Amino acid sequence: MQVPEEYGGLGLSNTMYARLGEIISLDSSIAVTLAAHQAIGLKGIILAGSEEQKARYLPRLASGEHVAAFCLTEPASGSDAASIRTRAALSEDKKHYVLNGSKVWITNGGLASVFTVFAKTEVVDSNGSVKDKVTAFIVERDFGGVTSGKPEDKLGIRGSNTCEVHFENTRVPVGNVLGEVGGGFKVAMNILNSGRFSMGSAVAGMLKTLIEMTAEYACTRKQFNRNLSEFGLIQEKFALMAQKAYVMESMAYLTAGMLDQPGFPDCSIEAATVKVFSSEAAWQCVSEALQILGGSGYMRDYPYERILRDSRILLIFEGTNEILRMYIALTGLQHAGRILTARVKQLKQGNVTTILETVGQRLRDSLGRTVDLGLTGKLGVVHPSMADGAHKLEQNVHYFSRTVETLLLRFGKTIVEEQLVLKRVANVLINLYGMTAVLSRASRSIRVGLQNHDHEVLLANIFCTEAYHQNLCTLSQLDKHSPENLDELIKKVSQQVLEKRAYVCAHPLDRPS
Amino acid sequence: MSWAQGILLARGLSRGWGGICSTALTRAPFSQGLPQAPRGLHCSTAAHNPDSSLVPRPPEPPRGPVKALAPHVELFRQAPDGVRDKASFVQAVQNFTQYNVHKRGHVDFIYLALRKMREYGVERDLAVYNLLLDIFPKEVFRPRNIFHSIFLHYPRQQECGIAVLEQMENHGVMPNKETEFLLIQIFGRKSHPMLKFVRMKLWFTRFKNIDPFPVPRDLPQDPVDLASLALRHMEPDLSARVTVYQMPLSKDSTDATDPTEPHIIGIQSPDQQAALAHHNPARPIFVEGPFSLWLRDKCIYYHILRADLLPPEEREVEEIPEEWNLYYPMQLDLAYGRSSWDDYEFNIDEVEEGPVFAICMAGAHDQATLAKWIQGLQETNPALDRIPVVFRLSGSSGELLASSSGLEEPPLTPPEGQEEEENNQQRQQQSQS
Repeated sequence: MQVPEEYGGLGLSNTMYARLGEIISLDSSIAVTLAAHQAIGLKGIILAGSEEQKARYLPRLASGEHVAAFCLTEPASGSDAASIRTRAALSEDKKHYVLNGSKVWITNGGLASVFTVFAKTEVVDSNGSVKDKVTAFIVERDFGGVTSGKPEDKLGIRGSNTCEVHFENTRVPVGNVLGEVGGGFKVAMNILNSGRFSMGSAVAGMLKTLIEMTAEYACTRKQFNRNLSEFGLIQEKFALMAQKAYVMESMAYLTAGMLDQPGFPDCSIEAATVKVFSSEAAWQCVSEALQILGGSGYMRDYPYERILRDSRILLIFEGTNEILRMYIALTGLQHAGRILTARVKQLKQGNVTTILETVGQRLRDSLGRTVDLGLTGKLGVVHPSMADGAHKLEQNVHYFSRTVETLLLRFGKTIVEEQLVLKRVANVLINLYGMTAVLSRASRSIRVGLQNHDHEVLLANIFCTEAYHQNLCTLSQLDKHSPENLDELIKKVSQQVLEKRAYVCAHPLDRPS
Repeated sequence: MSWAQGILLARGLSRGWGGICSTALTRAPFSQGLPQAPRGLHCSTAAHNPDSSLVPRPPEPPRGPVKALAPHVELFRQAPDGVRDKASFVQAVQNFTQYNVHKRGHVDFIYLALRKMREYGVERDLAVYNLLLDIFPKEVFRPRNIFHSIFLHYPRQQECGIAVLEQMENHGVMPNKETEFLLIQIFGRKSHPMLKFVRMKLWFTRFKNIDPFPVPRDLPQDPVDLASLALRHMEPDLSARVTVYQMPLSKDSTDATDPTEPHIIGIQSPDQQAALAHHNPARPIFVEGPFSLWLRDKCIYYHILRADLLPPEEREVEEIPEEWNLYYPMQLDLAYGRSSWDDYEFNIDEVEEGPVFAICMAGAHDQATLAKWIQGLQETNPALDRIPVVFRLSGSSGELLASSSGLEEPPLTPPEGQEEEENNQQRQQQSQS
């Protein structure tokens, strides 16, 4: 769909692609197959391919004659790109690369005829040393030596074809190298980072249909002479689903809009945020919907359990949520770190004026000052009916910035190892981005006059308050020696459990004999 | 004479402050009467009156030089065809009570019985301890008035009671209600044995599971099983695998004095294997040993295969590949490191030890056996062919050692070179043959 029109594709922008994704997501297997084909399978050629590679492959791929697949994961390497074992050696006549290796869990592996394969090649550096670097290749099934195993038996998305792909002495012409030799890592990163944001709108679409189906059921089923929809707990579940769907949509389209700006803006953090939030919200909401149906939700006759199983994979593929949290936090901290480097250096050297400034700031913070970043008010963007939420956002942002400075000062480079800290930073970031998206969308819908804008205001306010309190809690846990910070204890427990590789407590029925 | 005898009779069974009362005190009134070595006021009659016939003699006098038999020993002398087990022990105890209605010398008997318990194999049996406590006459030693309770009443008996409880403690036997009842009957509630009993009851349940590395109570007798248990006990890594490189020959065919094929069991974890594979072949690795490991009452010897630490200049800094993680940056390029507020590394007194690659336990401690171990290790660690192995076997100090003939002194540098070449040649021959 995003293939440019000159090669036979639809040439959709990101926003239109997100909109289409909403509709396709009703059946997850189809959605996943399509995504594997064109969000990651083709993207390599679009992003990094030369003109003649594009002209050769894209027309047939865009029309659907050939299916594409993305081959990166191996049995021994999931996120670890440096441990790829597939090798591509240059043949004697320097016209072909001979590819050897096997890849595992490749979606569309059985159907595809065009693969984007990543393999290690020997690259001679500028100073003459020979290193192994990852290179991307476009491999067709007709090159020979490409075999796919049998389709794997999965928990969910059983409609899509996932299998192992083996390459035995596959000859790949030199002209099929994507990008440059040794530049495969960057290609992989770009491909992976660009396809993520559509998950938000896809999940939102699925959730909307789910709300319809479940609401239908809740309003017709009667227990204790009352409809299910009159019970508070059920109502809470619907409110949760509506709220999450709203936030997901807003975040996804905001990111899509940002990506559509001229130039090539780097929205990878935002896309990762969208992915993490929507996958977790999907799992939670589908689970709640199944719960509303009670026993019948558990039966295979209804689609809920299938949707639940399908949505489990959302937390895993396209970068597991844990890894993406690390990414969000680390990229953000890197950016902040660069800006703060000068100040931190001065602080460490003991520059008196900087120290006094910092101390003064902290004092003012602790005495409780009002933060006004200009969101509301005369020139403010946010509509006054959401002034509350905007105020909370501003406060959170301010507190967050102070905490980030402290963290960078405390840990410096070694923050990479403090994953529990990074997880909290990422959670705060996700909430902040959600708040931003929600506030801007609600303001726009009031100003423009869309239907049901007061409902949107309600949802926005609820989400902002909830996120505000969650953020406050998380940020307070980031202080050193704070009583809410259980990191040390958690690490101790896990160390003891992993030492014995079992649950170590004595059974409650044990007697001292 | 009769007056002195009368006093001594009245003191009858008890032994009191033995050597505490000065002999000078006692010497004067008794010097004309008693030719024997002066003793305290409270001492046993029978020991010092060989010529009196008033008191029936206990079997053997309990004093004298060490060569003399300890009292009541022949009670424990079993019939030549009898087996030393609980029944015969109980029989011996019952014999004592039979022969000795007044239970003279019961303290000595109890001490003797405590010593003999190990031979009869009943040291872990609570019923036997209760039986021993039963030997004490009841109700005699209980304090009856305040003067009794202020001073240690019948101290020798109380010490004996404490000794019984102490042996129970040493062997990990938990006393029960019967013991408590007996102690109250014999010594009264405020006595020292009762105090010890109460402490035992409180603390032993808590101390039972206090060992973070417990060793099972009944150790396996088979040396191979024992060695594998010991190796797994030593190795903290749960992924390590125990390999038996050589089983001992059965004892029927060869004579037990010189087994030609002792057992060899080794343990190695995957991390150790990886470290050995990365080891620089230019540096030698050492087989050191034997070191002793005590499991309850068994002492086993083990050898280790280790290398020295690389000097700091040769240590290779782990290079972080630039393009490592596809998803997030493994390295932030910020100019500053951790602040001292969060620095948890301890630099004081930390002595790093060189890597240990494998541990083994063998029946014999000579180089030939250990060379077989190294050969066995070579199958899983092909890197071993290229690395020179130096055997640094030292004589161990003082512990029981099976074969003292197989020990070598720590070699000095010139012999080390020869040994190295020996080892290399040996291995090359073996690998060629």
